[in-house]
Amino acid sequence: MKKQDFIKELSEELELETVVTIASSIKDLDEWDSMGAMILIAYVSDTFDVTLDADDIESITTFNSLIERIGEEKFLE
Amino acid sequence: MGAIINKIEYVLPEREITNQDLQNEFPDYDFLKFEQKVGIKSRYIVSEGETALDLAIRACEKIFEGNIDKNEIDFILLCTQSPDYILPTTACILQDKLSLRNDIGALDFNLGCSGYTYGLSLANGLIASNQAKKILLVTAETYSKFIHKKDRTNRSIFGDAATATIISYSEEDNIGGFLFGTDGGGYDKLIVRNGGCRNNFDTNCEIKNYGTGNEYSDNHLYMNGPEVFNFTAQVIPKFTKELLIKNNLEVNQIDQYIFHQANAFMLNFMRKRIKIKSENFYINIENYGNTVSCTIPIALKDYSQEITSSEKIMLVGFGVGLSWSGGLVTINKSL
Repeated sequence: MKKQDFIKELSEELELETVVTIASSIKDLDEWDSMGAMILIAYVSDTFDVTLDADDIESITTFNSLIERIGEEKFLE
Repeated sequence: MGAIINKIEYVLPEREITNQDLQNEFPDYDFLKFEQKVGIKSRYIVSEGETALDLAIRACEKIFEGNIDKNEIDFILLCTQSPDYILPTTACILQDKLSLRNDIGALDFNLGCSGYTYGLSLANGLIASNQAKKILLVTAETYSKFIHKKDRTNRSIFGDAATATIISYSEEDNIGGFLFGTDGGGYDKLIVRNGGCRNNFDTNCEIKNYGTGNEYSDNHLYMNGPEVFNFTAQVIPKFTKELLIKNNLEVNQIDQYIFHQANAFMLNFMRKRIKIKSENFYINIENYGNTVSCTIPIALKDYSQEITSSEKIMLVGFGVGLSWSGGLVTINKSL
Protein backbone atom coordinates (compact mmCIF):
# COMPACT_ATOMS: atom_id res chain seq x y z
CA MET A 1 0.00 0.00 0.00
CA LYS A 2 1.14 3.53 -0.78
CA LYS A 3 1.53 5.85 2.18
CA GLN A 4 -0.91 8.32 0.63
CA ASP A 5 -3.56 5.61 0.24
CA PHE A 6 -2.97 4.52 3.80
CA ILE A 7 -3.54 8.03 5.11
CA LYS A 8 -6.65 8.38 2.95
CA GLU A 9 -8.14 5.09 4.11
CA LEU A 10 -7.33 5.71 7.75
CA SER A 11 -8.85 9.20 7.49
CA GLU A 12 -12.05 7.59 6.23
CA GLU A 13 -12.04 5.03 9.04
CA LEU A 14 -11.58 7.82 11.60
CA GLU A 15 -14.15 9.97 9.74
CA LEU A 16 -11.80 12.94 9.75
CA GLU A 17 -13.31 16.21 8.63
CA THR A 18 -9.97 17.85 7.83
CA VAL A 19 -7.37 16.92 5.21
CA VAL A 20 -4.26 15.49 6.83
CA THR A 21 -0.71 14.88 5.62
CA ILE A 22 2.03 12.53 6.68
CA ALA A 23 3.31 15.24 9.05
CA SER A 24 -0.05 15.85 10.76
CA SER A 25 -0.25 15.08 14.45
CA ILE A 26 -2.80 12.32 15.10
CA LYS A 27 -3.53 13.34 18.66
CA ASP A 28 -4.19 16.96 17.79
CA LEU A 29 -7.11 15.90 15.60
CA ASP A 30 -10.54 16.89 16.90
CA GLU A 31 -11.64 13.31 16.22
CA TRP A 32 -8.91 11.72 18.35
CA ASP A 33 -10.24 9.94 21.45
CA SER A 34 -10.36 6.45 22.94
CA MET A 35 -12.78 5.35 20.23
CA GLY A 36 -10.36 6.65 17.60
CA ALA A 37 -7.61 4.58 19.22
CA MET A 38 -9.81 1.48 18.98
CA ILE A 39 -10.60 2.17 15.31
CA LEU A 40 -6.89 2.73 14.59
CA ILE A 41 -5.87 -0.54 16.30
CA ALA A 42 -8.54 -2.50 14.42
CA TYR A 43 -7.61 -0.97 11.05
CA VAL A 44 -3.87 -1.56 11.46
CA SER A 45 -4.50 -5.11 12.68
CA ASP A 46 -6.75 -5.96 9.72
CA THR A 47 -4.61 -4.23 7.08
CA PHE A 48 -1.04 -5.03 8.20
CA ASP A 49 -1.47 -7.81 10.77
CA VAL A 50 0.38 -5.55 13.23
CA THR A 51 -0.82 -5.18 16.82
CA LEU A 52 -0.53 -1.73 18.31
CA ASP A 53 -0.48 -1.88 22.11
CA ALA A 54 -1.21 0.86 24.64
CA ASP A 55 2.46 1.97 24.64
CA ASP A 56 2.40 2.32 20.86
CA ILE A 57 -0.76 4.42 21.06
CA GLU A 58 0.93 6.53 23.73
CA SER A 59 4.13 7.08 21.73
CA ILE A 60 2.66 7.67 18.27
CA THR A 61 2.70 11.34 17.25
CA THR A 62 2.34 12.00 13.49
CA PHE A 63 1.02 9.74 10.72
CA ASN A 64 4.67 9.27 9.77
CA SER A 65 5.50 7.94 13.23
CA LEU A 66 2.59 5.52 12.86
CA ILE A 67 4.00 4.35 9.51
CA GLU A 68 7.40 3.83 11.14
CA ARG A 69 5.80 1.76 13.89
CA ILE A 70 3.91 -0.39 11.39
CA GLY A 71 7.12 -0.80 9.37
CA GLU A 72 8.33 1.23 6.37
CA GLU A 73 8.88 -2.04 4.45
CA LYS A 74 5.11 -2.62 4.40
CA PHE A 75 4.62 0.49 2.24
CA LEU A 76 5.35 0.92 -1.47
CA GLU A 77 7.13 4.24 -1.37
CA MET B 1 -29.96 -36.72 31.65
CA GLY B 2 -28.61 -33.22 31.89
CA ALA B 3 -29.69 -29.67 32.57
CA ILE B 4 -31.78 -27.00 30.89
CA ILE B 5 -32.26 -23.26 31.19
CA ASN B 6 -35.91 -22.85 32.22
CA LYS B 7 -36.27 -19.10 32.46
CA ILE B 8 -34.40 -15.80 32.43
CA GLU B 9 -35.55 -12.44 33.76
CA TYR B 10 -33.71 -9.15 34.00
CA VAL B 11 -34.22 -5.74 35.54
CA LEU B 12 -32.69 -2.35 34.90
CA PRO B 13 -32.49 0.56 37.34
CA GLU B 14 -35.13 3.27 36.82
CA ARG B 15 -32.67 6.05 36.06
CA GLU B 16 -32.00 6.16 32.33
CA ILE B 17 -29.01 8.08 30.94
CA THR B 18 -29.43 8.76 27.22
CA ASN B 19 -26.72 9.92 24.84
CA GLN B 20 -28.52 13.27 24.82
CA ASP B 21 -28.07 13.49 28.61
CA LEU B 22 -24.35 12.83 28.19
CA GLN B 23 -24.16 15.25 25.26
CA ASN B 24 -25.54 17.99 27.51
CA GLU B 25 -22.89 17.20 30.10
CA PHE B 26 -20.02 16.85 27.62
CA PRO B 27 -20.92 19.37 24.87
CA ASP B 28 -17.52 19.10 23.10
CA TYR B 29 -17.89 15.40 22.32
CA ASP B 30 -19.74 13.94 19.33
CA PHE B 31 -22.13 11.36 20.82
CA LEU B 32 -23.75 10.72 17.45
CA LYS B 33 -20.47 9.25 16.25
CA PHE B 34 -20.15 7.30 19.48
CA GLU B 35 -23.64 5.90 18.90
CA GLN B 36 -22.82 4.87 15.33
CA LYS B 37 -19.55 3.17 16.21
CA VAL B 38 -20.09 1.74 19.69
CA GLY B 39 -23.80 1.10 19.18
CA ILE B 40 -25.04 2.37 22.53
CA LYS B 41 -27.94 4.84 22.74
CA SER B 42 -28.92 4.50 26.35
CA ARG B 43 -27.95 2.91 29.65
CA TYR B 44 -29.48 2.71 33.12
CA ILE B 45 -27.69 3.41 36.37
CA VAL B 46 -28.63 2.95 40.01
CA SER B 47 -29.51 5.86 42.26
CA GLU B 48 -27.39 6.76 45.30
CA GLY B 49 -28.74 4.24 47.80
CA GLU B 50 -29.57 1.45 45.34
CA THR B 51 -27.26 -1.57 45.18
CA ALA B 52 -26.58 -4.72 43.18
CA LEU B 53 -28.45 -6.70 45.84
CA ASP B 54 -31.52 -4.46 45.41
CA LEU B 55 -31.44 -5.13 41.66
CA ALA B 56 -30.86 -8.84 42.26
CA ILE B 57 -33.92 -9.05 44.53
CA ARG B 58 -36.07 -7.41 41.86
CA ALA B 59 -34.81 -9.77 39.14
CA CYS B 60 -35.47 -12.83 41.32
CA GLU B 61 -38.94 -11.63 42.37
CA LYS B 62 -39.75 -11.22 38.70
CA ILE B 63 -38.70 -14.78 37.94
CA PHE B 64 -40.80 -16.16 40.81
CA GLU B 65 -43.88 -14.33 39.51
CA GLY B 66 -44.03 -17.02 36.82
CA ASN B 67 -44.55 -20.74 37.32
CA ILE B 68 -41.21 -21.30 39.09
CA ASP B 69 -41.69 -22.63 42.63
CA LYS B 70 -39.10 -20.87 44.77
CA ASN B 71 -39.18 -23.69 47.32
CA GLU B 72 -37.56 -25.93 44.73
CA ILE B 73 -34.43 -23.74 44.54
CA ASP B 74 -31.58 -25.65 46.18
CA PHE B 75 -28.60 -23.48 45.18
CA ILE B 76 -27.88 -19.77 44.58
CA LEU B 77 -24.90 -18.76 42.45
CA LEU B 78 -24.49 -15.00 42.41
CA CYS B 79 -21.98 -13.23 40.18
CA THR B 80 -21.03 -9.70 41.21
CA GLN B 81 -18.05 -7.38 41.52
CA SER B 82 -20.10 -4.76 43.33
CA PRO B 83 -21.21 -6.65 46.47
CA ASP B 84 -23.14 -4.78 49.16
CA TYR B 85 -20.50 -5.66 51.75
CA ILE B 86 -16.94 -6.97 51.75
CA LEU B 87 -18.55 -9.66 53.89
CA PRO B 88 -20.98 -11.38 54.21
CA THR B 89 -21.75 -12.90 50.85
CA THR B 90 -24.52 -11.18 48.89
CA ALA B 91 -26.04 -14.56 47.95
CA CYS B 92 -26.69 -15.28 51.66
CA ILE B 93 -28.62 -12.03 52.10
CA LEU B 94 -30.50 -12.76 48.90
CA GLN B 95 -31.58 -16.17 50.29
CA ASP B 96 -33.20 -14.39 53.22
CA LYS B 97 -34.74 -11.53 51.22
CA LEU B 98 -36.37 -14.02 48.87
CA SER B 99 -37.45 -16.31 51.76
CA LEU B 100 -35.77 -19.28 50.13
CA ARG B 101 -35.20 -22.52 52.04
CA ASN B 102 -32.40 -22.73 54.61
CA ASP B 103 -31.09 -26.10 53.44
CA ILE B 104 -29.62 -24.70 50.23
CA GLY B 105 -26.19 -23.61 49.03
CA ALA B 106 -25.47 -19.94 48.31
CA LEU B 107 -22.27 -18.28 47.18
CA ASP B 108 -20.97 -15.24 45.36
CA PHE B 109 -18.33 -15.45 42.69
CA ASN B 110 -16.32 -12.46 41.63
CA LEU B 111 -16.11 -12.31 37.85
CA GLY B 112 -17.09 -9.66 35.33
CA CYS B 113 -17.96 -10.18 31.70
CA SER B 114 -17.04 -13.89 31.74
CA GLY B 115 -19.26 -14.48 34.80
CA TYR B 116 -22.53 -15.65 33.27
CA THR B 117 -20.99 -18.40 31.15
CA TYR B 118 -18.98 -19.51 34.19
CA GLY B 119 -22.21 -19.58 36.19
CA LEU B 120 -24.01 -21.74 33.65
CA SER B 121 -21.18 -24.24 33.62
CA LEU B 122 -20.94 -24.33 37.43
CA ALA B 123 -24.70 -24.85 37.66
CA ASN B 124 -24.48 -27.66 35.12
CA GLY B 125 -21.68 -29.24 37.17
CA LEU B 126 -23.66 -29.07 40.42
CA ILE B 127 -26.59 -30.75 38.69
CA ALA B 128 -24.47 -33.39 36.92
CA SER B 129 -22.79 -34.31 40.21
CA ASN B 130 -26.18 -34.60 41.91
CA GLN B 131 -25.47 -31.80 44.39
CA ALA B 132 -28.39 -29.65 43.25
CA LYS B 133 -31.49 -29.94 41.07
CA LYS B 134 -32.75 -26.39 40.59
CA ILE B 135 -30.29 -23.51 40.62
CA LEU B 136 -30.88 -19.77 40.78
CA LEU B 137 -28.05 -18.09 38.88
CA VAL B 138 -27.95 -14.34 39.48
CA THR B 139 -25.80 -11.64 37.92
CA ALA B 140 -25.97 -8.19 39.50
CA GLU B 141 -23.63 -5.35 38.68
CA THR B 142 -23.41 -1.62 39.40
CA TYR B 143 -20.15 -0.46 37.82
CA SER B 144 -21.62 3.08 37.75
CA LYS B 145 -20.63 3.34 41.41
CA PHE B 146 -16.96 2.86 40.45
CA ILE B 147 -16.78 5.28 37.51
CA HIS B 148 -15.44 8.83 37.93
CA LYS B 149 -17.96 11.50 36.99
CA LYS B 150 -15.55 12.95 34.43
CA ASP B 151 -14.72 9.59 32.84
CA ARG B 152 -16.86 10.20 29.80
CA THR B 153 -15.86 7.03 27.94
CA ASN B 154 -16.64 4.56 30.70
CA ARG B 155 -19.82 6.41 31.66
CA SER B 156 -20.91 6.08 28.03
CA ILE B 157 -20.14 2.38 27.84
CA PHE B 158 -21.26 0.80 31.11
CA GLY B 159 -24.77 0.32 32.44
CA ASP B 160 -26.11 -1.35 35.59
CA ALA B 161 -28.47 -4.33 35.65
CA ALA B 162 -29.33 -7.63 37.30
CA THR B 163 -30.50 -10.93 35.86
CA ALA B 164 -31.90 -14.16 37.24
CA THR B 165 -31.72 -17.54 35.47
CA ILE B 166 -33.21 -20.86 36.53
CA ILE B 167 -31.22 -23.93 35.54
CA SER B 168 -32.66 -27.31 36.43
CA TYR B 169 -32.13 -31.04 36.17
CA SER B 170 -33.71 -32.46 33.03
CA GLU B 171 -33.97 -35.57 30.90
CA GLU B 172 -32.78 -33.32 28.07
CA ASP B 173 -29.15 -32.27 28.00
CA ASN B 174 -29.30 -28.68 26.79
CA ILE B 175 -26.09 -27.35 28.30
CA GLY B 176 -23.21 -28.49 26.12
CA GLY B 177 -19.44 -28.25 26.28
CA PHE B 178 -17.88 -25.25 28.02
CA LEU B 179 -14.30 -23.98 28.10
CA PHE B 180 -12.44 -21.42 30.20
CA GLY B 181 -9.43 -19.16 29.92
CA THR B 182 -7.44 -16.99 32.30
CA ASP B 183 -4.58 -14.50 31.98
CA GLY B 184 -4.02 -12.81 35.33
CA GLY B 185 -0.99 -11.06 33.82
CA GLY B 186 -3.56 -8.59 32.53
CA TYR B 187 -5.15 -7.99 35.96
CA ASP B 188 -4.43 -4.26 35.80
CA LYS B 189 -5.99 -3.66 32.38
CA LEU B 190 -9.41 -3.27 33.97
CA ILE B 191 -9.22 -2.55 37.67
CA VAL B 192 -10.50 -0.65 40.70
CA ARG B 193 -7.24 -0.38 42.66
CA ASN B 194 -8.42 1.00 45.99
CA GLY B 195 -10.95 -0.17 48.53
CA GLY B 196 -9.87 -3.80 48.83
CA CYS B 197 -7.27 -5.12 51.26
CA ARG B 198 -4.21 -4.26 49.13
CA ASN B 199 -4.90 -0.52 48.96
CA ASN B 200 -7.30 1.36 51.22
CA PHE B 201 -9.91 3.67 49.74
CA ASP B 202 -8.06 7.01 49.66
CA THR B 203 -10.14 10.13 50.22
CA ASN B 204 -7.27 12.34 48.96
CA CYS B 205 -6.67 10.31 45.87
CA GLU B 206 -4.83 11.95 42.96
CA ILE B 207 -6.96 12.58 39.88
CA LYS B 208 -5.41 11.03 36.76
CA ASN B 209 -6.06 11.65 33.10
CA TYR B 210 -6.34 9.10 30.30
CA GLY B 211 -5.00 11.62 27.78
CA THR B 212 -8.33 11.85 25.98
CA GLY B 213 -9.99 14.23 28.43
CA ASN B 214 -11.27 11.39 30.61
CA GLU B 215 -10.45 11.48 34.32
CA TYR B 216 -10.21 8.75 36.94
CA SER B 217 -8.42 7.95 40.18
CA ASP B 218 -7.23 4.77 41.87
CA ASN B 219 -10.53 4.77 43.77
CA HIS B 220 -12.32 4.45 40.45
CA LEU B 221 -12.67 2.04 37.58
CA TYR B 222 -9.72 2.18 35.19
CA MET B 223 -9.84 0.53 31.79
CA ASN B 224 -6.90 0.31 29.41
CA GLY B 225 -9.04 0.34 26.28
CA PRO B 226 -6.34 -0.53 23.70
CA GLU B 227 -5.07 -3.47 25.76
CA VAL B 228 -8.56 -4.84 26.43
CA PHE B 229 -9.37 -4.51 22.74
CA ASN B 230 -6.17 -6.33 21.74
CA PHE B 231 -6.75 -9.09 24.27
CA THR B 232 -10.23 -9.66 22.93
CA ALA B 233 -9.17 -9.50 19.29
CA GLN B 234 -6.32 -11.97 19.84
CA VAL B 235 -7.93 -14.46 22.21
CA ILE B 236 -11.65 -14.66 21.48
CA PRO B 237 -11.75 -15.65 17.77
CA LYS B 238 -9.38 -18.58 18.50
CA PHE B 239 -11.31 -19.46 21.66
CA THR B 240 -14.57 -19.52 19.70
CA LYS B 241 -13.04 -22.01 17.26
CA GLU B 242 -11.94 -24.19 20.21
CA LEU B 243 -15.53 -24.09 21.49
CA LEU B 244 -16.78 -25.29 18.11
CA ILE B 245 -14.30 -28.19 18.16
CA LYS B 246 -15.27 -29.01 21.75
CA ASN B 247 -18.90 -29.31 20.66
CA ASN B 248 -18.16 -31.02 17.32
CA LEU B 249 -19.73 -28.23 15.32
CA GLU B 250 -18.74 -26.10 12.35
CA VAL B 251 -18.98 -22.32 12.46
CA ASN B 252 -22.14 -22.31 10.29
CA GLN B 253 -23.94 -24.94 12.40
CA ILE B 254 -24.57 -22.48 15.22
CA ASP B 255 -27.97 -20.79 14.95
CA GLN B 256 -26.91 -17.77 16.95
CA TYR B 257 -23.75 -16.47 18.56
CA ILE B 258 -24.30 -14.37 21.66
CA PHE B 259 -21.08 -12.73 22.81
CA HIS B 260 -20.63 -10.48 25.80
CA GLN B 261 -22.00 -7.14 24.61
CA ALA B 262 -18.87 -5.03 25.09
CA ASN B 263 -19.28 -2.61 22.22
CA ALA B 264 -20.68 -3.04 18.72
CA PHE B 265 -17.48 -2.05 16.92
CA MET B 266 -15.43 -4.63 18.79
CA LEU B 267 -18.13 -7.29 18.35
CA ASN B 268 -18.29 -6.79 14.59
CA PHE B 269 -14.50 -6.79 14.38
CA MET B 270 -14.46 -10.26 15.97
CA ARG B 271 -17.48 -11.46 14.00
CA LYS B 272 -15.65 -10.77 10.74
CA ARG B 273 -12.49 -12.51 11.98
CA ILE B 274 -14.45 -15.65 12.89
CA LYS B 275 -16.45 -15.35 9.64
CA ILE B 276 -19.87 -15.37 11.26
CA LYS B 277 -22.73 -13.89 9.22
CA SER B 278 -24.31 -10.84 10.83
CA GLU B 279 -27.73 -12.55 10.92
CA ASN B 280 -26.24 -15.26 13.15
CA PHE B 281 -24.60 -12.81 15.51
CA TYR B 282 -26.71 -11.05 18.09
CA ILE B 283 -26.11 -7.44 19.13
CA ASN B 284 -28.55 -5.72 21.48
CA ILE B 285 -26.26 -3.29 23.28
CA GLU B 286 -28.25 -0.28 22.03
CA ASN B 287 -30.60 0.21 24.97
CA TYR B 288 -28.56 -1.20 27.85
CA GLY B 289 -24.86 -0.48 27.32
CA ASN B 290 -22.26 -2.89 28.63
CA THR B 291 -23.86 -4.37 31.75
CA VAL B 292 -20.85 -6.64 32.48
CA SER B 293 -22.00 -10.15 33.54
CA CYS B 294 -25.60 -9.22 32.71
CA THR B 295 -25.16 -8.68 28.96
CA ILE B 296 -25.32 -12.34 27.91
CA PRO B 297 -28.45 -13.30 29.89
CA ILE B 298 -30.18 -10.07 28.76
CA ALA B 299 -29.26 -10.82 25.13
CA LEU B 300 -30.25 -14.49 25.47
CA LYS B 301 -33.63 -13.52 26.95
CA ASP B 302 -34.26 -10.90 24.24
CA TYR B 303 -33.13 -13.20 21.42
CA SER B 304 -35.16 -16.15 22.72
CA GLN B 305 -38.40 -14.21 22.18
CA GLU B 306 -38.00 -15.07 18.48
CA ILE B 307 -37.26 -18.77 19.01
CA THR B 308 -39.87 -21.18 17.64
CA SER B 309 -37.82 -24.40 17.37
CA SER B 310 -34.70 -25.83 18.98
CA GLU B 311 -31.65 -23.62 18.39
CA LYS B 312 -27.96 -24.08 19.13
CA ILE B 313 -26.59 -20.93 20.70
CA MET B 314 -22.93 -20.26 21.41
CA LEU B 315 -22.29 -17.98 24.38
CA VAL B 316 -18.91 -16.31 24.88
CA GLY B 317 -17.93 -14.00 27.75
CA PHE B 318 -14.61 -12.13 28.11
CA GLY B 319 -13.16 -9.28 30.08
CA VAL B 320 -11.84 -8.25 33.49
CA GLY B 321 -9.38 -10.71 35.03
CA LEU B 322 -8.42 -11.17 32.32
CA SER B 323 -10.92 -13.98 32.11
CA TRP B 324 -12.94 -15.65 29.40
CA SER B 325 -15.37 -18.53 29.17
CA GLY B 326 -18.01 -19.84 26.85
CA GLY B 327 -20.11 -22.77 25.83
CA LEU B 328 -23.01 -24.17 23.89
CA VAL B 329 -26.62 -24.06 25.03
CA THR B 330 -29.70 -25.42 23.30
CA ILE B 331 -32.83 -23.31 23.64
CA ASN B 332 -36.21 -24.41 22.27
CA LYS B 333 -38.58 -21.77 23.65
CA SER B 334 -38.96 -18.17 24.62
CA LEU B 335 -37.21 -17.80 27.99
